[in-house]
Amino acid sequence: MKRRKMLAAVGLAMAVALPLTACGSGEDNAESGPVELTVAVWSLASTPEFQTLFDAFHKANPDITIKPVDILAADYPTKVTTMLAGGDTTDVITMKTLADYVRFAGRGQLKDITSAATSTEGAKLAGLDQYKQDGDKYYALPYRQDFWVLYYNKKMFDAAKQPYPTSLTWDQYVELAKKLTTGTGDKKVYGAYQHTWRSIVQAISAAQTGGDQLAGDYKFFADQYKTALALQEAGATLDFGTAVTQKTGYASMFESGKTAMLPMGTWYIAKVLSEKKKGTTDADWAIAPMPQRPGATGVTTFGAPTAFAVNKKAKHAAAAQKFVEFASSLEGAKAITGIGVVPAYQSDEIRQQYFALPGMPTDDLSKKAFTPDKVNPEMPVSDKTAKIDTILNEEHQLIMTKQKSLDDAIKEMESRVKNEVN
Amino acid sequence: MTTADTAAAPRARGPLALARRVVLYVVLAAAALLILVPFLWMVSASLKRNNDVFTIPIQWIPQDFQWGNFTEIWTRVPLATYLGNTVYLSLVITFLQVLTGSFAAYGFAKVRFRGRDTLFMLYIATIAVPWQAYMIPQYIMMQKAELTDTFWSLILLQAFGAFGVFLMRQYYLTIPDELCEAARVDGLSEYGIWARIMLPLSKPALASLALLTFVNTWNDYMGPFIYLTSNDLWTIQLGLRSFVGQYDADYAMMMTGSVLSVLPIMIIFLLGQRHFIQGVASSGMKG
Amino acid sequence: MADLLTATPATTSAAPSPRARDRRRARRNTLIGWSFILPNFLGFVVLTLVPVLAAFALSFMEWDSYNPPEWVGLDNFTRLLNDESTKIALRNTAFYALGHVPLTMLAALGLALLLNRKIAGVGFFRAAAFFPYITSMVAVAIVWNMLFNPEFGPVNQFLQFVGVDSPPGWTTSTTWAMPAVILTSVWRDMGYYMVLFLAGLQAIPVEQYEAAKVDGASTWQRFRAVTLPGLRPVTFLVLVLLTVQSFKVFDLIVVMTDGGPGRATLVLSQQIYRRGIIEGEFGYASAISLVLFLLVLVFTLVQFWFNNRQERR
Repeated sequence: MKRRKMLAAVGLAMAVALPLTACGSGEDNAESGPVELTVAVWSLASTPEFQTLFDAFHKANPDITIKPVDILAADYPTKVTTMLAGGDTTDVITMKTLADYVRFAGRGQLKDITSAATSTEGAKLAGLDQYKQDGDKYYALPYRQDFWVLYYNKKMFDAAKQPYPTSLTWDQYVELAKKLTTGTGDKKVYGAYQHTWRSIVQAISAAQTGGDQLAGDYKFFADQYKTALALQEAGATLDFGTAVTQKTGYASMFESGKTAMLPMGTWYIAKVLSEKKKGTTDADWAIAPMPQRPGATGVTTFGAPTAFAVNKKAKHAAAAQKFVEFASSLEGAKAITGIGVVPAYQSDEIRQQYFALPGMPTDDLSKKAFTPDKVNPEMPVSDKTAKIDTILNEEHQLIMTKQKSLDDAIKEMESRVKNEVN
Repeated sequence: MTTADTAAAPRARGPLALARRVVLYVVLAAAALLILVPFLWMVSASLKRNNDVFTIPIQWIPQDFQWGNFTEIWTRVPLATYLGNTVYLSLVITFLQVLTGSFAAYGFAKVRFRGRDTLFMLYIATIAVPWQAYMIPQYIMMQKAELTDTFWSLILLQAFGAFGVFLMRQYYLTIPDELCEAARVDGLSEYGIWARIMLPLSKPALASLALLTFVNTWNDYMGPFIYLTSNDLWTIQLGLRSFVGQYDADYAMMMTGSVLSVLPIMIIFLLGQRHFIQGVASSGMKG
Repeated sequence: MADLLTATPATTSAAPSPRARDRRRARRNTLIGWSFILPNFLGFVVLTLVPVLAAFALSFMEWDSYNPPEWVGLDNFTRLLNDESTKIALRNTAFYALGHVPLTMLAALGLALLLNRKIAGVGFFRAAAFFPYITSMVAVAIVWNMLFNPEFGPVNQFLQFVGVDSPPGWTTSTTWAMPAVILTSVWRDMGYYMVLFLAGLQAIPVEQYEAAKVDGASTWQRFRAVTLPGLRPVTFLVLVLLTVQSFKVFDLIVVMTDGGPGRATLVLSQQIYRRGIIEGEFGYASAISLVLFLLVLVFTLVQFWFNNRQERR
């Protein structure tokens, strides 16, 4: 009540801005008859997995129709944050990143669905443990789990008479990239294209060395940065500064045959399949495991899940939970596998279905790439993730544009994380 | 340099004047070309395949022209609906902003009363607050009023801005007080002075306010993004951004749409700028 | 403050009259004044002022956008003093404003003077000058970044041609990124403010120029004696709008450099966005915006005061 008094003193302004809890939802477990479920998603037209899931769900539950709430991908978190702050009653919210999930769950904006997560089906979901909150609670279920592989253009390997990248170390990867680089000016073709995200250096080195990106000690990044800088120094990849400022798209680099190798997430498979089908690219592609550190046993890569959650103020909470469970189930997994999306649900049946897709490379190397021994999280989740992410990204840019030496930048990362993140 | 030159021009005919004119045109044309470089890139990108947009170094003339982009875009997204919504919003908001802005400006510029200038300061001070700071409180308010996901939210938010008041007040200040005094002596009410003297005399200012408000509403992205959720209410800027997906973007389509969305603004501009012709206001000053 | 801000020159025509009449007249004026202002004011108070005040109140609280806010007093402000990124953003914003305001002002005024004449095709040239403002922001960012590209960009090729050995890295360099952004922003905004100046030039009576000419004033003298004073209210408008918009710059930075490389072009509104929307600390974000607001307010008041002093002369 002390808080109330304080608020009264602040006056009219806050009274208006204060979210009242009055317009909450009801528990509607007893609901029957036709239901229109609203689901917040991004870029509906260019992300076919959503409509595929909706159709499959509606088929399984004819009395529930789904009305998508289409939000532009680039500013999805902004809009969802605003909507939820205003007490929006959209039933299902897609969790685009783990960092978003932590915030929404931490504020108590998502419904607790621990029971669904801890069921026997839940055990089959890759990446589920990253959604664990407060020790043992779950507020979202992953339905897809992407991890990183090495895409390569067979034609370019054949032309350069190089063997396909079966099991590379990072040094071999750099050497190979140099050999595959040809031409100059607008005819230049790169051996590899390393996209501008920090993940391609930092997340992979954390995954393969066991380093912790939240711990504040970043010496384990050094080797991977040396690799990235060597690649850039040799001109075997597009210069970082140019790639950032020209907003270079990795897809167009690969699809227009400008690069022979591309380390990228499995989400790109669906895109390249559909571009091939449309005939907009003639890249003869396949996938290989990510390069490893020397002496590594097995294939270690990193990945990140995507999940659905139920809004705490959902109008139709029961139906919403039904949808979330469906999306993560074998049925939901089958539906999205059909369009080349990698589901979180793990089973041999799904993997077989995946490689039966028309246009999918079926060589052994691709299959091996698709079953890595270990998929570590791209970024560990905590309430400090967003802040550390910003710092690491800023220093990443400075290293890659050579505005700061590697040693200085790593020291700066350490001191900034120490001082700026409490 | 300004009017004087124009007035002098007919008198000083001769080779020198001609040469000066030629030089002026050459300079203007060169400057215009330079200024328009990014626009030319936009047009060039709109005629390419998406994978060819970001070739390095830049390719100014597309290898094979994708004229099909300009027909395809109408079916890829409901562009006609988006255009219609944008036209509607821009017109309504511009009309209300010009009307309430020029009306309030008269109070601030020509009526003297206690606290007027403090109030005015309060007005323009709010322009200094970044939207990122009050976006969420504003949204919560609109949600409570159940106006989100309607055009009303945007119309209300943007029609009563301080910008129009500020702009019109500054122009009214350039109109001599003696004109108002004379009108008062003639028995005109304050409202009459506003309607019959101030409005006609501030045509260039009204034109520039209308133009700038129209353009800003037309190009606004964050407002419609936050407040309009249903796809059939979307504006053209949302439509353009919808070509940016989670992992990739169709920049060719985006540029095609951008070229299309610039055309209406260009027409509005060419119509509006006619009001910036020397002498419109000054002729009224003689009375 | 009211006295300081008085912008209309006092009219001294009123004859000495009894106090009561004065008071009645003052009351009448107040009513009339408010009747003009009210339609806009109502909308303004409800839709802008209230949320703005709410945001200011939040700067003394901790708020996650959902649960009830908690009063923390001045905590957010003491935190602000120790936040390196915010300090860098503040410095960058000031740097940007220092470059952007005067340069845009000069460019816009120059364009307006150049294009305020009756020549064939003036409509086209005005449109050309305005075009940068309506060109897609993405296109702007890409083309300017291309022009500034350290290796094959035309800017550096030209610099090397005239004998600069190691031309700057522009948007890939921490030192030169901000100047590159400033140049781009001047290019983008000059047409916008040109429109305001063009409208302002229409308000200057031709008779004044003619009178100055009769007195034998040169072009420069006419500019000093007629154009500049006639443009004063508009110049003030442009100056305030430019200052405010420079301090709030967001879109251009986000698409052109996104604050990088490192924190070289990080500005305050970006910092507000990151701390608030992205990291979920709305109280702290509000505190930063309150500081930004006070800064702009001080600048605006100084301009107001200076403007009024000039006007009274």
